[in-house]
Amino acid sequence: MKSAIKYLLALLALAAAVAPIYWLVTISIKRDIDQFAVPPLWFHFQPTARHYMESFRDGDLARSLWNSTFVASLSTLLAMLLGVPAAYGLERLRWPLDWNQKIGFWILSTRMLPPIVTIVPLFLMLRGAGLLNSRLGLIIVYTALNLPFVVWMMQGFFREIPRELEEAAMMDGDSRMGVLVRVVLPVAKPGLAATVVFCLIVAWNEFLFALILTQTAASTTLPVAIASRVTQYEIKWGAMSAAGVVAMVPVLVFAALAQRYLVRGMSLGAVKG
Amino acid sequence: MIQTLRRSWPGVPWVAPTVVLLLALSIYPLVYSVKVSLIGPAGFSLANYTRLVQDRLFLQALAQTLLYTAVALAIEFALGLALALLIDSLGRGRAFFRAGLLAPMLLPPVVVAVIWRLIYTPQFGVLNGTLGVFGINTSALTWTSGESGALASVILVDVWEWTPFLFLLLSAGLQALPQEPLEAARMDGASAWQVFRDIVLPLLKPVMTLAILLRTIDLLRIFDQIFILTQGGPGFATETVSLYIYRTAFRFFNFGYAAAMSFLGLGLTIVFARSLMRVMRVPRVSK
Repeated sequence: MKSAIKYLLALLALAAAVAPIYWLVTISIKRDIDQFAVPPLWFHFQPTARHYMESFRDGDLARSLWNSTFVASLSTLLAMLLGVPAAYGLERLRWPLDWNQKIGFWILSTRMLPPIVTIVPLFLMLRGAGLLNSRLGLIIVYTALNLPFVVWMMQGFFREIPRELEEAAMMDGDSRMGVLVRVVLPVAKPGLAATVVFCLIVAWNEFLFALILTQTAASTTLPVAIASRVTQYEIKWGAMSAAGVVAMVPVLVFAALAQRYLVRGMSLGAVKG
Repeated sequence: MIQTLRRSWPGVPWVAPTVVLLLALSIYPLVYSVKVSLIGPAGFSLANYTRLVQDRLFLQALAQTLLYTAVALAIEFALGLALALLIDSLGRGRAFFRAGLLAPMLLPPVVVAVIWRLIYTPQFGVLNGTLGVFGINTSALTWTSGESGALASVILVDVWEWTPFLFLLLSAGLQALPQEPLEAARMDGASAWQVFRDIVLPLLKPVMTLAILLRTIDLLRIFDQIFILTQGGPGFATETVSLYIYRTAFRFFNFGYAAAMSFLGLGLTIVFARSLMRVMRVPRVSK
């Protein structure tokens, strides 16, 4: 009896979390006349793919989808290329005094800066370099945004790998870089994958930098393209919702893949996951 | 020289690219912002900072940000803790509920705003539509479009989106609790409430501190959802510090004043973090 109430409460909470998302999906596949029917149509309506087809036909959605994919994957790749060796260097190489801790903490603290503090100078810097309204500019900014996170996450994963593995390989004459690539990274694969997924999600979801640094239709990312649909004077509800679903699905898929590491990632490695 | 550097600092080349990039894209902008905030028409000047205290719109945005932060944090923390305890006490299906409850927090904030735009639309929105089904008169319920209810409505969005974050951290904290003291207390005949108050809560304190800290940092800089849902309106009802800074910098192009405001915000965040650590008596959260 008591546990029945508990399950009922849990189901209510689940419904509150999921129903709004479900509603978004229904609006994206409803005909215009069904969208705002009174009373609301939760289940019985005729589905249509029209909003998706229209959204992709007018070109903006497809282009911003491509921009988002391009920017998120390249910035993630760059952040990993820079951050993984840094994490390894801080974790495994010898440092005088505790300089590795100091540097590690400094790297993490840059992540705590609110974007609104750095965004004006970044805007001016990119404008000076001719990188405003370009995907490259955004890629550079997102790389810096994700770097502290990569270093922090990967340091945690490297710490869990027994040193004996590396020592054996070093005895065989392997260089440090060789050890990292051939011995350590294969063992740290789950950690690498989780870190990649988190970087992708952060870059994919980011809004404020993209809003200010990419203002042309050709360069902008999915969140900015969607935001402009919401703030239009006359909203096309179906198209707006379809774009929202397109932006949402990859994130949910990624998160499902990295579920085991969600806590560690979400709290910047501060809680043991 | 290079030889000794190599021998005593072998890690430098591994870390250097990361440090250089962060110096260029985080620290240089920070220093630059300090500089522009301290320059007036005639050289060095504190005018941007003295203007802060007299700018009534800024003070209103600041008050609203603090109110938003306090209310959202309180609700999210209470709900998150309750949910964590509830799901933790379930027998089967824990993983299923956990996964479903986390969904809102993962969505792009822009999508969250789209969803609530659909829900809040006064005449045809699903919220008023559903309330209408139950015979509730919804003509006065304007949600984000009315000045009086707008702030509460954007707070509700925040609660929906971020309660899962507190749930996630607190639930991980609960799972990591050592079982022996709990069982020992139960054996001694402690009630569920006593176990919770005297054992679970104190053990959970570091995780709770961390959760409050991380959430507050983000709440104080809230931007995306409000920018899309209300753009600070109607009137000035949902204006927050971040939105006001954005407007100052990119609508009125007053970069110096925008920088000064952002430093006040940063200062507040740091003061809050410090005092939270002191109150909770947690020496160092991160490890």
